[in-house]
Amino acid sequence: MCPAGPEERSVSQTPAGPASALRRGLDDWAQSEGVTWAFVFKALFTAFVALWLAYRLELPQPNTVLVTVFIVMQPQSGQVLAKSFYRIVGTLLGLTVMIPLIALFAQERVLFLLCLSLWMGLCTAGAARYRDFRGYACVLAGYTAALIGLPAIAEPEAAFMQALWRVLEISLGILCSGLISALILPQNSGASLRHLLATRFRDFAAFAGAVLAGQLDVPRLEQLNARFAGEAVLLENLRNASSFEDPHFRLRSGRLGRLNQEFMVLSTRFHGLHQLLQRLQGVPGEQVRAALAPCLAEVGGLLAPLGRHLCNEADAEVLATRLEGSKRELMQLIRDARARLAEQQPGDEQLLDFNTAAEQLYRFANDLHDYALTHASLALHHHDREQWRDSFTPRANGMAAAVAGMRCALLILALGNFWIASAWPSGNTFVLTAAMISALTSTAPNPRRLAWQLLVGASGSAVLGCLLQFWVLPWLDGFALLCCALAPVFALGAWLLARHHTAGYGTGLLLWFCIVALPANLPPYDFNRLLNEYLAALLAMGASALAAALILPPDRPWLWQRLEHDLRMRVVFAVSGKLKGLVAGFESGTRDLLNQAHGLARGRPDVQRRLLRWMFAVLEIGQAVIELRQEQARLPDEPCYAEHMPWQGSVRAMGRALVRLFIQPDESNRQRALAAVEQAIVSVRQTPEARPPQFDSSPLRRVLSHLHFIRSSLLDPDSPLASHAALTGSPAHAA
Amino acid sequence: MPREIALFGVYLPNLTLLFVITLAAGWAIDRLVAWCGLYRHAWHPTLLRVSLFTCLYGALMLSVYH
Repeated sequence: MCPAGPEERSVSQTPAGPASALRRGLDDWAQSEGVTWAFVFKALFTAFVALWLAYRLELPQPNTVLVTVFIVMQPQSGQVLAKSFYRIVGTLLGLTVMIPLIALFAQERVLFLLCLSLWMGLCTAGAARYRDFRGYACVLAGYTAALIGLPAIAEPEAAFMQALWRVLEISLGILCSGLISALILPQNSGASLRHLLATRFRDFAAFAGAVLAGQLDVPRLEQLNARFAGEAVLLENLRNASSFEDPHFRLRSGRLGRLNQEFMVLSTRFHGLHQLLQRLQGVPGEQVRAALAPCLAEVGGLLAPLGRHLCNEADAEVLATRLEGSKRELMQLIRDARARLAEQQPGDEQLLDFNTAAEQLYRFANDLHDYALTHASLALHHHDREQWRDSFTPRANGMAAAVAGMRCALLILALGNFWIASAWPSGNTFVLTAAMISALTSTAPNPRRLAWQLLVGASGSAVLGCLLQFWVLPWLDGFALLCCALAPVFALGAWLLARHHTAGYGTGLLLWFCIVALPANLPPYDFNRLLNEYLAALLAMGASALAAALILPPDRPWLWQRLEHDLRMRVVFAVSGKLKGLVAGFESGTRDLLNQAHGLARGRPDVQRRLLRWMFAVLEIGQAVIELRQEQARLPDEPCYAEHMPWQGSVRAMGRALVRLFIQPDESNRQRALAAVEQAIVSVRQTPEARPPQFDSSPLRRVLSHLHFIRSSLLDPDSPLASHAALTGSPAHAA
Repeated sequence: MPREIALFGVYLPNLTLLFVITLAAGWAIDRLVAWCGLYRHAWHPTLLRVSLFTCLYGALMLSVYH
């Protein structure tokens, strides 16, 4: 990342006065409302350039160009460039699939419709499955297929040329919007990425500093972790987008991915530490808490100042240097604290608690050091830390994607049949609208609401379209006047599109205004046609909204339960997955799943909370299991660490018990898993080891603390494992 | 030089082929310039990249159609 620009530095140094107050006011406006107005201006400019080119090049359907412009229009320019690339790929893919289909089935329209609906279903399922740039390629592949394929049903002999025209029109739209949003007043995703990184770390440091100083706060922990999970997914998207947009970000792409990954590890580790401290609350943990306090204060003291301002690369550099020294001191502090605790002759359990918490704290400091080093390395263009192989692996529920695809295919098949049976002249728009709605809503967490917004937007466009077509357009002469007449409609639509919660209305207004009411090179004035087209569009939208509400809507318990199951399966992945790249795959996949589930359960805080608690249980146990496996993989070649030793066997048995528990979480499985962990702890303790019993020198000591951590999280009364077991335990026993 | 090429029996203007060639060449140059860190000195890197591409494409077109 480049160092902060001169304008950022100068803000704090300008003297107070009316001029500077005005300037600050303008800056604030430019940061908030100004962005929206810049977007409206860009949307208008793009639309008119594209429209002029379409008229000038005498393309047969200028409205396809504008529809494409508005489909791909995004407030962030980095996103536009990245998406444009995938959209062109998607468009060409749609063309490549449709041309053989046209050649094969153009005369058999029922068969053709069947193939078309299957392809659209596939594309919708793909968009719901990937949800990133590949998702856009899928949406555009489906959209292109519908645009090319539907006219071919009505007039098969002209289909091939029509297909080529449509692809040219779509490409023109994509090119215009990509170029203009990247070149004029660009809204860099790089800037938002930097801001997101800095605020995330600031909030984390503030919270962690408070917790280490002794103020535990469970609701805040949950809220922050849910936010971090969403931001981890968002950052990955921004990283992809900015490496398209900015060559400097491309040079740092690996480090940014690494930073995201290290933050996920860091926040999981901190959550584990928080849980351990939480379990030490109360009288029995008193001694251990008192012994730990100076060690916690050492790390907390480093973090607390960072929680008050946004951290840049230089701050990260300072933090890394201080942590370097502090880690050595921390080791000494832990040893002193253990010696003091030993003087009070604590029980075995308490000693184990202390060791586990101290070790977790030391690992936390280590992770923090890694994060600070990576963050500091962003100041340079080239750095060793760029060498990074692991990647963010998104996870999605295959069933949800398949349902979205099936819903789309069924809808198109049904509407297409109605079109063929009724020989409706506007059937083309009828089916096209249904296809576009399915594609647009496939990635939304609440398709019903989006479909409804689109319907309202399109109804608005029907009113505006009729007014414009019969009262305004007949008076106009020339392109400039046409622009003046269209500008209010486009500006309204773009303004709605720019704001997150009204985006659906804007899309509906703009797209269906362009599809139906935009004049072609030879504008037709036919009231019947206009009425028919709008009727077709609105009916198709109603049908899509109905289908989204009736055919297995995704924001319902069936999908929550599936996603919860998928979350639990992450532990199975941690136990049995390949060790290479396991940490990155585990951390990112789990967060991606939670992020989707959280979005789908919006409006149901109880469900969101349950899912969040499952994620915590999965992350805690999964991280401990993975580190246990890494520890086993690096054991030195000595007889007490051999594969056939009893402790190795009991650790394997524990892995199997955990898998069983997370596949079927009931009380008997939890008891079995607990017994397996305790058995493993006993057998590790009984294994003689020829090394000093410090955690930096003795592998068995580290294994022991991982095992103790797993045990304490299985025993946690707040964990969903315990409550789930209490709910389902007795019927399972009865059965 | 002929102004059209036949691709599976469909005549395409040479411009299309040149566009693809320019995309590849422009991408390579872009990587090189970014790796050397030269974009640091540009006011608007994206504008520079697009202009570079346009110049390259224009030069190739002129060499073919002149």
